[in-house]
Amino acid sequence: MKHYHHPAWLHALFALSALAIVALVGLAIADEAGRPTKLEQRIVPALGLVERCEQCHATDSHPGDWLTHHPVERFGCTPCHGGQGLGITKEEAHEAALDWERPLFSPLEREAACGRCHGGDEVPGAPNLSRGRHAFRERGCSGCHEVPGEPEPDLAPDLDGLAAKLDPAWVRAWLTDPAVLLPSHAMPRFALTADQIEVLVAFLFTRPAPSLPAVPEDSGDADRGKQAIARRRCATCHVLEGRGGVFAPSLDQAGVKIQKPWFFAYLQNVHALRPRSRMPGFTLPAGEAADMVAYAAEQLVPDTPEMPWSKFDTPVQSERAPEGHALFVKLGCRGCHRVEGLPPLKRTSVPLGNMGDKRAFDLPHQNFIDHVPDVPTWIHFKLWEPRGFDLPEAKPSSMPSYAHLGPDETFALGIAVASLHAAPLPSAYVRPARTASQALPAGETGRLVERFRCLACHRVLGSGGDISRVPLDGEGARTKPEWVASFLKEPLTLRMNQAERMPVLGIEEVDARRLAGWIDVTLGDDRIPPAPPPTEAERDAGAALYGARGCPQCHVVAGQGTMMKAPVLDGAGARLRFDYVLAMLRDGPAVVPARRHPDARLPEAEARAISAWVMSLPGRVEHAPAPQ
Amino acid sequence: MRNTLKNLPRHIYASIFRVGWPADERASIKAMVSSITLHIHAPKIRPGSLGFRASWALGLLSVVALGLLLLTGIYLMFYYIPHPDVAYRTMKDIGYVVPLGRLTRDLHRWAAHGMVITVTLHMLRVFLVGGHKPPREANWVVGVLLWVMTLALSFTGYLLPWDQLAFWAITVGSNMIAAVPWIGPGARELLLGDRIVGESALLRFYVLHCVAIPAVMFALVGFHLFRVRKDGGLIVSEHELPHARHADDGPKLIPAWPHLVYREVAVGLFATALLLAISVAAHAPLEPEADPTRTPNPAKAPWYFLGVQELAHYHAFWGGVFVPAAFVLGLMALPYLDREVRAPGRYFPRERWLACTLFVTLLSFFAAVTVVGTLFRGPGWAFTFWPY
Repeated sequence: MKHYHHPAWLHALFALSALAIVALVGLAIADEAGRPTKLEQRIVPALGLVERCEQCHATDSHPGDWLTHHPVERFGCTPCHGGQGLGITKEEAHEAALDWERPLFSPLEREAACGRCHGGDEVPGAPNLSRGRHAFRERGCSGCHEVPGEPEPDLAPDLDGLAAKLDPAWVRAWLTDPAVLLPSHAMPRFALTADQIEVLVAFLFTRPAPSLPAVPEDSGDADRGKQAIARRRCATCHVLEGRGGVFAPSLDQAGVKIQKPWFFAYLQNVHALRPRSRMPGFTLPAGEAADMVAYAAEQLVPDTPEMPWSKFDTPVQSERAPEGHALFVKLGCRGCHRVEGLPPLKRTSVPLGNMGDKRAFDLPHQNFIDHVPDVPTWIHFKLWEPRGFDLPEAKPSSMPSYAHLGPDETFALGIAVASLHAAPLPSAYVRPARTASQALPAGETGRLVERFRCLACHRVLGSGGDISRVPLDGEGARTKPEWVASFLKEPLTLRMNQAERMPVLGIEEVDARRLAGWIDVTLGDDRIPPAPPPTEAERDAGAALYGARGCPQCHVVAGQGTMMKAPVLDGAGARLRFDYVLAMLRDGPAVVPARRHPDARLPEAEARAISAWVMSLPGRVEHAPAPQ
Repeated sequence: MRNTLKNLPRHIYASIFRVGWPADERASIKAMVSSITLHIHAPKIRPGSLGFRASWALGLLSVVALGLLLLTGIYLMFYYIPHPDVAYRTMKDIGYVVPLGRLTRDLHRWAAHGMVITVTLHMLRVFLVGGHKPPREANWVVGVLLWVMTLALSFTGYLLPWDQLAFWAITVGSNMIAAVPWIGPGARELLLGDRIVGESALLRFYVLHCVAIPAVMFALVGFHLFRVRKDGGLIVSEHELPHARHADDGPKLIPAWPHLVYREVAVGLFATALLLAISVAAHAPLEPEADPTRTPNPAKAPWYFLGVQELAHYHAFWGGVFVPAAFVLGLMALPYLDREVRAPGRYFPRERWLACTLFVTLLSFFAAVTVVGTLFRGPGWAFTFWPY
């Protein structure tokens, strides 16, 4: 065979390729040799889970008591922790790889995962989720974003008749940047051009406004007004002279912001001018209203000699009102503010009901930040700087900035939004929000509850606000209706070191009795069993036990006591029910809610004795002094 | 008896290999003719066809890829279950639990993609040397059919992982079929067994991928290779190739064994090693499980159809149906229209500059729209630079 010469490179190719095949297959086998050969696998059929987390993790070392409420047999691991249950090595199970896009949850995502099953604003163990869901409602997110089951927000002032209330210059300054006027503003900052502001003002100030009578000359006294405001406890909700609550708009510039006739008329009948306001329906006498207006004009004004909005003082361009109308609808102002005659709410932005199904890289992220680790963080940035994620060629986002909320709340909102999933879970896993029963009673009592906006502050039967720390549920089982009626007329604190917050609403005697009767009959607590009335012997034994069990550490009786954290017990018999005091001392706060009472769980005899003695204490005339 | 046992290995060897290891040219020709696998080649070949430039080994590489796909595919079939409830999970188990499952799947994936590329380049190469002209017209048509079937095999296999990538690529791909006038929607429903990609689509794609198309494919590959030999072997220009310059020094024809066979085995080993290296370095993607309610944006067809998707974006019928169909039919009609043999075996000869320019332009156009569709199309199919 003469022609059997293969070139050298061909031999090299042959040999090297054969060697490479052996080496590469060997490498693959060696790589697999390190993998476990025995599988610890958990299957949760109801959720369609197959998980191998227990290959490495022992469930009995799980921190906290989470697994007692969420047995791993029923919930598996990945619904709360994310990751890839089918993975066997740490890398496969924990990390994002080319072939797995959901790595282990970040702490934010983990909290959002609670919301997959748990509905409602109060999710136990998930404070940020709870806060975020609450904020979602409070900030009116659903005015622009569709979320299933989320109603149209009802928060911001109606804008009808604005011309009677505000100065156009003030509105222009407000729309430019609300933070300049009020550091604690609720309205987000829209990035509006001067021209856009001009047409919005034209629209709002050409709406029909009521003609209101002027404040009578020299009728108000600023000092009396200040006292009246303190007596009514306006500062529970409003900021006044730098101090007060955050539940209602700050009144620090009310003296120059609000036109006097409007202010005067409003205080005399709040709901006549603002039927949907959350403010209780105060109907102040004209004199008191005039005093408050005078006080506002004197004290509730900015420190600076020049008003921050004076440079915006130009005539309203009324002819541009139709443009303003269109812009009002387009920007989604209608989402929070109502104006008569506008069509029903049509949400202007994207629905959020499936944000929990998305991953951070599903969301646009150009121009702003390269790497957003998770959806809650993305939402946090989006709230902070809404145009930061705009795609290069898209028109700029019209979402307003919520930077004023602060990072805690924007992250909480991110968690709440990331808890929204489109796909339903098996119904056995769904923990719906406690359904709010119809808390408003019918008839005249219902009208009173509505007029005084009891549910704006108090929770009743699962609905209502949380401004008050006293839920009214069970109040009828705790206190006596006579005391409730007197408290409604004149709400004086029971705790010496606590600011008085309940506004003095000016409730008439007959109305107070009606409300107290409703609380007595309707808002009971069946965890408190009826007990036989106390005997005199028990009462006598109770005096010594009261001291022996340490009650004076917190409670004050006849001026005796130390820490003053707890209610004064003088006159407790006129206020409290024996059954309640007994049950609380005997069964403890876990069974019978008492706001801050220690878990006493005394023996029946001792509990009866102390209760009997407390109920016998005489009332004292003087109460804690009202705060200034 | 003792001798019988002693000689058993030799007897077994001799019963299989009639000729033995060839020691001379005569024996080597006998070896080529007597073996069913080797007689696909002529016993003697022209030296010119050995040169790398003669073929770039593209046809051989395609056959090697096909062989690897067969082997790895059978292994994967042991574990894969074509039902939406479990398909994705069996894919995960192939990746995580099955011995060498991930390597097998990676090899299968990359070999499939590689085959799409080598078959396409093979076609380009054959055209540039005029290999489609008489007497090879029929084999060219078979080759075009094999190219189409390679794409069909890849397309049907694309659905089987049942992940988001698979589901939406096939949804997009099958929607392009629906753009065919009159029969389109019906054809899509026939292919999917439903109006959407679901249980019956998965089963149909599985059967097409594992049984129907491979059966036809292997028959056609046999025919294709047989006709290569019967149509005169590899087309080579005797004037250009280095062996031919010294034609006086050597014989006109040389035995296929061992010159050709050794080269083929070496190239086959090299291709296998290369695919193994790619598989060890890069794993086949497996996205989250298919979710009909979550449409990725953009939803893209398999990459080799992204040129068509890009064209379909301009016009569903003209871009998405007419141009590709006209291209394939035109390819098949080509050798019957362009019959004059000029400068055979030379790449891009001056005599055929127009045809070659047109063909290269056409393929470059498809390559360009494929690149645009793959890399530069973002959400809403909007043009975008990195990252898409």
